[in-house]
Amino acid sequence: MQESEFDQRTFFRAIADSGARALLIGRRALIVLGAPVGTFDYDFWIHVDDIERFNVAVATLGLIPNHTPGDARQRGRYVLENSERVDVLVARVHPTIDSQRIAFDDLWARHKRYEVSAGVWIALPTIADLMATKRFGARPKDAEDLRFLARLLARENDDE
Amino acid sequence: MSEQMRRVPPSMVRELRADAERQLSVEEFNAWVNAPMTDAEREEIDSLIDWFTRRYPTPEARLEYARRAARDLAAMMPSST
Repeated sequence: MQESEFDQRTFFRAIADSGARALLIGRRALIVLGAPVGTFDYDFWIHVDDIERFNVAVATLGLIPNHTPGDARQRGRYVLENSERVDVLVARVHPTIDSQRIAFDDLWARHKRYEVSAGVWIALPTIADLMATKRFGARPKDAEDLRFLARLLARENDDE
Repeated sequence: MSEQMRRVPPSMVRELRADAERQLSVEEFNAWVNAPMTDAEREEIDSLIDWFTRRYPTPEARLEYARRAARDLAAMMPSST
């Protein structure tokens, strides 16, 4: 599939319609929240039981998984690619750099939904939970993102 | 985008990517994250968020902008990186 053929709305609609428990994380989530950061890929954390459902949904856009669902479950993550790249975390629990254990089910229970196209809603962790996921990798760009998220959280609290 | 930007050498792109993606130690990361935010930094971040959410008021508009920006940037990247 060519770059120009990838339709972001169709992509999100396919995920929403699939019923997969899928959380948009990473920099695309920051962009949804209002932080002007750059990224080339999409990052999702999905429920480990929903890999097949997720893969079927995005297969219509030509996205091909680099591992079978069984391998992905063992590895805890995999990638879907065509002209786009989608990093998918499937671990039930993921540690932060300081050994906190972050559970998908906990984030999913608190998730918030955002309308990314008419009638298409995607799930994001709360800002506080998204901050926790930024401690998985602990790269310089994660540290920068945490500064943005700290302000987004403060502004959200001010609004309440 | 300027012609000078278009001529970024592949080696520099690799170095910049490696720097942004490197794994920090817990101490380095916490020092960065926990550093007090100065008034100037707070104002800069707020200003960027205000501009972005005013210019692109919906999640859909922001995602579309980000996708266009990434596509434009990718077009400028040296093909060997």
